[in-house]
Parts: sequence; C-alpha cells; structure tokens
Amino acid sequence: MLSIENLNVYYETEEGDVHAVDGVNLELERNETIGLVGESGCGKTTTAKSIIRLLATNGRIADGTIEFEGTDITELSDRQLRKQIRWNEVSMIPQNAMNGFDPVYTVGEQIVEVIRAHESKTSKNEAWERARDLFDRLGIESDRVTDYPHQFSGGMAQRAMVALALALSPSIVLADEPTTALDVVIQDRILRVIKDLQDELNSSMILITHDMSVVSETCDDIAVMYGGRIVEYADAETVIKEPRHPYTLGLRNSFPDITQDSQELISIPGVPPDLVDPDEGCKFAPRCPFAEDQCWEETPQPEEYGENHIVECHRADEVEHLQEEAKKRETWMAMKDDPNAAPTKDVKDVKDVNQPADTLQEGSHDD
Amino acid sequence: MRKFIIRRIAYLLLTYWAFITVLFVIFRMTPGDPTTMYVVEGMTEAERQATLERYGLTDPLHIQYLNYVGDLLRGDLGFSYRYNTSVASILIIKFWNTIFLMATSLLIAYSIGILFGAYLGWVRGTAKEKGGLLLALIFRSSPEFWIGIVLLSVFVFRLGWFPWGGIRAIGAEAPVGFTSRYFNREFAYHLFLPALTGAIYYMAQPILLMRSSMISVLNSDFIEIKKAEGLSPTRIVYKHAARNSMLPMATVIALVAGMSIGGSLVIETVFSWPGMGREMVESVHHNDYPMAMGAFFLMGTVVIFMNFLADIAYVYLDPRVRYD
Repeated sequence: MLSIENLNVYYETEEGDVHAVDGVNLELERNETIGLVGESGCGKTTTAKSIIRLLATNGRIADGTIEFEGTDITELSDRQLRKQIRWNEVSMIPQNAMNGFDPVYTVGEQIVEVIRAHESKTSKNEAWERARDLFDRLGIESDRVTDYPHQFSGGMAQRAMVALALALSPSIVLADEPTTALDVVIQDRILRVIKDLQDELNSSMILITHDMSVVSETCDDIAVMYGGRIVEYADAETVIKEPRHPYTLGLRNSFPDITQDSQELISIPGVPPDLVDPDEGCKFAPRCPFAEDQCWEETPQPEEYGENHIVECHRADEVEHLQEEAKKRETWMAMKDDPNAAPTKDVKDVKDVNQPADTLQEGSHDD
Repeated sequence: MRKFIIRRIAYLLLTYWAFITVLFVIFRMTPGDPTTMYVVEGMTEAERQATLERYGLTDPLHIQYLNYVGDLLRGDLGFSYRYNTSVASILIIKFWNTIFLMATSLLIAYSIGILFGAYLGWVRGTAKEKGGLLLALIFRSSPEFWIGIVLLSVFVFRLGWFPWGGIRAIGAEAPVGFTSRYFNREFAYHLFLPALTGAIYYMAQPILLMRSSMISVLNSDFIEIKKAEGLSPTRIVYKHAARNSMLPMATVIALVAGMSIGGSLVIETVFSWPGMGREMVESVHHNDYPMAMGAFFLMGTVVIFMNFLADIAYVYLDPRVRYD
C-alpha cells in the first residue's frame, strides 16, 4: 500500500546539508504496524513526516519516492496533498496530545472541522454525531466532545487525539511516540485502544518510539534506524530476540527485560553521528565494538538474512559471536576508553535540526 | 461566570472610587482658583470671598470631597469657570467628537493591523515580511502631527479632496440630536483625514504585536497538527493561529483606547477638531479646574470601562480563564 524507496531527506543548515534520512526503503501493508526505533535524531520522525511532507522549512525530500497506492506523494501539488493525502489517508498522533489541540476550540469543534474540511457532503450534525461516536468507542463520555482540551487529563487528551486521528478512517496513522508522555498503565491502555480501532478500520500504523517494550507488543515489524538509515529490519520477534546488527544489540541492552530476574542495563557509549556530509563507511562504526577496517571504509549494503530480515552490517553473519559479546558490559565499556576507536568529527546536536522548530515557511509554501 | 462578572464589577467600583479620590486630591493640591483667573485690579477681598463661596471653595476639604462625590453620582461635573456654564454640557459634545474620531481611527488601525500582523507572522523570513515590517516601523516612528500635515498638504492643499479641518462646514449650524449630528455625510467627510492620521499612527502597534505573537503561536504543536489535517493555509492562519495570537491584543486595545482619548490632542490640533484633548489642555491653561477635572474624569472612565470590557472579553477569547 505504501512504498518508500531510497528516501533522502536533507535539512539545510549553516554547516551544510544534514542527511537526516539517507536512503530509506520501507514497505507498509494494509493493517500492518511497523515500529520505527532509534535514538533521537536518527531520522525516524523525519521519515514519518516525509510521508505527508510535513517537514521543517529547511527540510526537503532530496531524492526517492513515496508511493501510496500507486501515487507518488513527492510529486503531488500542495493542494492535492492537502485534499487527498493529509488526514484523509494519512493522519498522525503527536507525542503530547494536550498541545496537539488548539486550546481555544473544543475538541469536538476540531474533530468536526477536519471532517467537514474533507467531506463537504457531511452535515454539521452528522459530523458532531461522528465525533460523539468516536469518543464513545475510545472510552470517553460522548458528552465531553464539547469540552476544551485543557479540561481533559493527559490520558483522556491522548484518547481524544486518537479520535481526531481516526475521524476520517485513514489508511495510515503515524504515531510519533504517542504514549511517551503518559504513565505506564495508561500507556498500555491507549496502545490497546489504538490497536483495536486500527484493526476495526483496517488501518496501518507507523509507530515511532525509542521504547523497545512498546514496539514488541504493538508492532508486526520493526525497523531500527541509525544515522538516517534503517540498519535492521525484521518482524518484531526476530528484532527483539535474534537481532544481528550491533546497534540493535546495544539498544536491546539498554532496556530492561522483564523475563530476566536481574539484569544490568548497558548503554551504548558515544553520541549519534554527525550527519552533515557523511563519509563513506558504516555510520555506527565509531561506536561499534565490533568495527573492523572494512566498516570504516565501506558503507554496508542491506543484506537479507532469512525471511524478511534485512541487516546493514559487514559482520552480520557472525551473529552468534556478536550476540554473545554484546551481552557483556566490558565489550561496550572498552569502546569508551579507547580514544583511537572513535575518530569522530566534531559532533553537532543533530536533534535540533530534526525538530520542526521552524515550520512557518512550510505553511506559506502550501499556497 | 456570573460570579466572575460580579467580582469584576466590584473591582470596577473600587477602582473608580480610588480614581475619583486621586483626581480630587491632585486638583486640590494645584494652585489657583477662579479668582486667580479673573483677577481684576480692583477686586476687593470681600468680592474675592464671595466668588470663592459661590463655587463652594470656602468649605473644609472633606465637605468639598463629599460634595464632589455626591455631584458625580448625580452626573454633575461642576460649573466651568471659563464658560460660565455646566462642565457636562460642554464636555459631552467634545467627548463624543473625540470618541467618534478615535473609535474610527482605532477600528481601522486594529482591524487592518491585526490581519496584516498575522500575515507578516505567517510569511516570516520572506521579503514580504521585511517590506511589511519596514512599513510598520515607518508608521511607528512617524509623529502624528507629521502624518497629519503630510495628509493635509496632499489631500487638501494639493488635491482639494477634503476639508482642512473642523467637523462641519464653516458657519454651518450644528444639527440638533445625536444621530443627525454624527451620522451624516458632512461629518464623515470631515472625519476622513483625521481618522486616517490616527489609523496610520496607531496601526504599527497591532502589526508588530500580532506578528511576534503569531510567530510564537505558529511554533506550537497544534499548528503542525492542523497542517497535517490538510486544512487550508488561510484557515490555519486566521482561524487557529491568529485567533490564539489575539489574546494579548484584548488588553492592549483597552489601554490604547483609553489613552487615545487624551492622546487625540495632536490630531485635534492639526485638524482643528473640537474634541476632548484640546479642551483638556485649554482648561488647564486657563485654570478652569472643574472643566479639566471633568475631562480627566471622562478619560479615566473610558480607561476603566475598557479594561473591564477587556477582562470580560478574555473569558470569551480564551476558554482557559473561564473558571478563574
């Protein structure tokens, strides 16, 4: 249904173009949920936002295609994008629902607004009826549609945001860390509600998160992103249990596993790479305890290991050795102490450039 | 909501009382009385006393204060030394002249200023914004009298499109009755240039304020969601971003509206507009204290009342303050 090919998204900065997304390929089927996992600034949000071309002013899709049911979204005019794709086919759930609503209108008014903006035939009453119905299905009292956003609790606001996101029964929902701001119990409930409705509407979802436990429960497939590339892609179970990429192994170490009694959390030393005019070679090499000469010189290409399991790593076939070594703290700590191991360029905070802090211009381009 | 309004009215009364008292005290502290104005060489002490007594100026201060408050409650602003008639009868006409002038100016200034400022915030970083900003800064730094003189020299002395001043043709009788006085073509014709002068002068503030307010609102998460919703840019700018950016404007409008009543002096002078601003200055010059007090009283009334309106408006503009 959705097919992203060789997507390259650059952000223009004073230092040069930041290659925030650098050759991403992704296929999303109907009713499938893909988790995008990775550190801040690895390009997961940029990838998702590219689908509705909601990039910051200085961002641009430099190369690649995003095909939705045969139409290349990157080729659409702003008007077509707005009328056909945005919210109609692809909607989103932001991290903080409370800030996702306009504070001066009731939640119902905002749901009705988006319904009526896309469906000119739907009457005001029908739209309100649908808003109430959505509230009802999401477990919010339907009378609360006339409440203002600030009158909701965090969890309720998030549900209301899900109602907004599903108002037009979109084909794809982009959920950008939808539960990060909530406590664990509510997190779980919200995820379940999203899942149920998604099944009912036969929608697909791209779930962005850095929380491994969230993806493992919710997603069919997981794409692990690093430095603007998908470094490992497989079904959720494989990524969690049998990962091959050292970054995934490291990421897994840094989250607690409830199936084990006591487990030491090991973080990956170092910082995300500088994405301004990146050099040849594996971007993870500076932080990788298994990096060899080849890793520094040659960018690893995606290789298939087993069905639907794609890894970008020169040493992915040494999986057993990697998995064994990666469990040890010393393996990662050695990296930290060895100054020769990481000849990084001075690292800028890539996160800043990725944030859509300045989305003003984007709007005026819409005209 | 009702509780909020009742409490707000209580504040209003309290503010009013404080204002009246300060006004009274200030004018009792200033030197001068009717006799210093009409000082005639041969005025005897007895005549002087009689004059003071006639105006109630021989009573003890607290009695004067009580009389003053009592008179105000009855709508009596006192007796003008200069015109030898009641202050209210003179001021009410000048007050409405000024109100019509300033209300028109501010209405134009704020409706255009808000829309234009919102637009500038939206096109931030482009040449359009820079041009608009330059225009706003020129408006802001041009003195009122200069704008007035430029308009006069172009539209009156060169093109002859408009009259040079006043509120009606020279020698014309003032129509009787409120509506026939203000709602006619003759008045509108005379109003145009002074109102335009005020509009230009007062427009810079809403433009600049709205622009910066817009810029911060446009950075909010919900604007991104509205874009993702596929709403049209116009809708996002005016229905969502501008609507949120308007909140600080309510307070500013109230303050500016109040101050403009006194600040209209310059425009009134340039265009010979018989308004409150000029009256206020002239009565101070002539030690006509009841008149000056009356003028200040009306001006303060406008400020207090506008602030009250702004507070009430806030409740409707921003749902988050409703139950405060």
